[in-house]
Amino acid sequence: MPGVEPLPKTTARPSIVAWLGIPFVLAMRIVDYPMRALQRALGEQRMAYVFLLPNLIFFSLFVFAPIVINVIFSVTGGPALFPSERPFVGAGQYAYLFDCGSYLDPSTCREDHFWRGVANTFRFTASQVVAMVLLSLLTAVVLNMKIRGRGFFRAVYFFPVLLSPVVVALIWKWILQRDGLLNAGIIGLGGERILFLVEPGWAMFWAVFVSIWAHMGFYTLILLAGLQAIPSDIYEAAEMDATPRWRVFLRLTLPLLWPNLIVVIVLALIRGVQTFDEVFVLTGGGPGTATLMIVQYIYETAFSNQVQNFGLAAAASVVLGVVLCLLTGLQLALSRRKAA
Amino acid sequence: MAELKLVDIKKSYGAAKILHGIDLDIADGEFVVFVGPSGCGKSTLLRIIAGLEHVSEGEILIDGHSVVGVPASDRGLAMVFQSYALYPHMSVFKNMAFALENMGLGRQEIDQRVRRAAQMLQLTDYLDRKPKALSGGQRQRVAIGRAIVRDPKIFLFDEPLSNLDAELRVATRKELAALHGQIGGTMIYVTHDQVEAMTLADRIVVLRAGRIEQIGTPLDVYNRPANLFVAGFIGSPRMNLLPGRVVGPDAIRIGNEPHMIAMPLPEGLHVDDEITLGVRPEHMDVTARDDADLAITLDLVEHLGGETYLYGSTPGLAQITVKQDGQTAYQRGTRLRLHFRRDAFHLFDVAGRALRAN
Repeated sequence: MPGVEPLPKTTARPSIVAWLGIPFVLAMRIVDYPMRALQRALGEQRMAYVFLLPNLIFFSLFVFAPIVINVIFSVTGGPALFPSERPFVGAGQYAYLFDCGSYLDPSTCREDHFWRGVANTFRFTASQVVAMVLLSLLTAVVLNMKIRGRGFFRAVYFFPVLLSPVVVALIWKWILQRDGLLNAGIIGLGGERILFLVEPGWAMFWAVFVSIWAHMGFYTLILLAGLQAIPSDIYEAAEMDATPRWRVFLRLTLPLLWPNLIVVIVLALIRGVQTFDEVFVLTGGGPGTATLMIVQYIYETAFSNQVQNFGLAAAASVVLGVVLCLLTGLQLALSRRKAA
Repeated sequence: MAELKLVDIKKSYGAAKILHGIDLDIADGEFVVFVGPSGCGKSTLLRIIAGLEHVSEGEILIDGHSVVGVPASDRGLAMVFQSYALYPHMSVFKNMAFALENMGLGRQEIDQRVRRAAQMLQLTDYLDRKPKALSGGQRQRVAIGRAIVRDPKIFLFDEPLSNLDAELRVATRKELAALHGQIGGTMIYVTHDQVEAMTLADRIVVLRAGRIEQIGTPLDVYNRPANLFVAGFIGSPRMNLLPGRVVGPDAIRIGNEPHMIAMPLPEGLHVDDEITLGVRPEHMDVTARDDADLAITLDLVEHLGGETYLYGSTPGLAQITVKQDGQTAYQRGTRLRLHFRRDAFHLFDVAGRALRAN
């Protein structure tokens, strides 16, 4: 080709990496010709969609299609599994779910377990988010200070995040059960045994506590990254401006950390609403329905009750999905308002 | 406004000694520039004065009162940072008002002070803007405004113009000089740019490796450098430093040059003493005379329009720089004869100390 210098010939023997690369190069050559033909036919712009297609197929198959099927299930009734065999009931499942004397009193609802799940999830999420944000913030601020063993403590706080939720729940169950580690300690100190997972108040407290313990490291990490992104010279300027420490925190650190705080609050909210595995393994939703969450309700309604009510479970999932969409919208709105 | 006295200031980080005993008096209302190459300790010294770094040894006196151990917030000084360090989420007004709110001043007083400073710095139209909506020069003016409103005892500037482009740097430099004339505060300014040092300072403090090499007015430091380091550091293009030897009364020989150069020598020099001759590029003339001091072959010619820089070499010496006014027609490879002006050369002894002719 004119204007192109030929590659210098090498006498060195090709390395093992070069040999391993041969199939890859061959495969690329084989793909090359049809792709070029396709690009000529479609043009460069439309070619982008060809590259997006594989992931779109997976998304459609495993995310979008189940959502559609779920919505179809929620407007159909009966025990049949295949949508074509299920009779259309319109908004019947939703009407059943929302049939309540008073929404503030689950016992007046026809599907009282759903509303107990809503109430429990709300209590769980509200207390968990507030405590999680405050504790993560405090931990991040402390771990951002020049303290001895900072790296060690950062690892210690992050470690629970690496554990599976089931493992977390089992560890704490072992600690909290009737003859668990904590009660052994209390009795050893002369106290009386407390039924942590049997008394409703304690069960909810420990559900929240264990969830915070398991996930706080992740949120602390987000806030720590935010704190470290604040330039140190801003704090030096504040020092030169004779700013009291509390004012530095309130007027500089918090506003500059706000984007990270939004992420933490909304992620914690979404995770709280979705909570299932940890609480299910720790308390089984009990005692009674004291720690029954919405997702557990959906799971049990669809799969573990004697009568498997797919339609009702699907309707509850759609309601949960709408709530999660609203929360995500809230996050986007807050982030955009801050960015503007 | 205040005067500052530094007594034997030392600073170490572990085993690394950064400052080796700095003594300095700065008078009330004086504009002093710390200049030196990277790593010489000039910014550390400024931060020690500010209170942002602890001093390892020594005494810092502001208006006669020791401030060692006094936190930065209680020293009553203001600092302008290289990165501006503006509060990004606050408007220009709030940036300037923040320190005043800390001082507990009333709304009206704060408003008055901020607007006065904004007017002085031509920022009135930008008071509601956030820093990200300002240009680099405007941000730097906000940083200066933030310092001015507090009416501090001493202004500290840490390479404030480094982040600006060349044109803006010149403009802001002039504004700073005018500002000092207007408000007249004691100002300490750190830079590695000798042009800023020469144009802004009442006095320059030249630092190297944690030690003061020379203190003096800009022209003093330029005309009478105390040693080889200062001679080489101050002046652009830098001074030609030519190693040589005394070969007779009032005669030296440089490099491998065969002939002697006749020039008045200070007392105390003897035949065979090693010396370094310093000649600034503007103090060399191209001559046609046979008794030229040096002959070079041109390696490079830089035409700047108003002046021309000639870079040439001769065996046994480092590259020689010659500055010529106006435009010249010399080409690369031309052989040039140079004459050193006898009223403007510098001599340094073997230890690098300046020798003064009688």
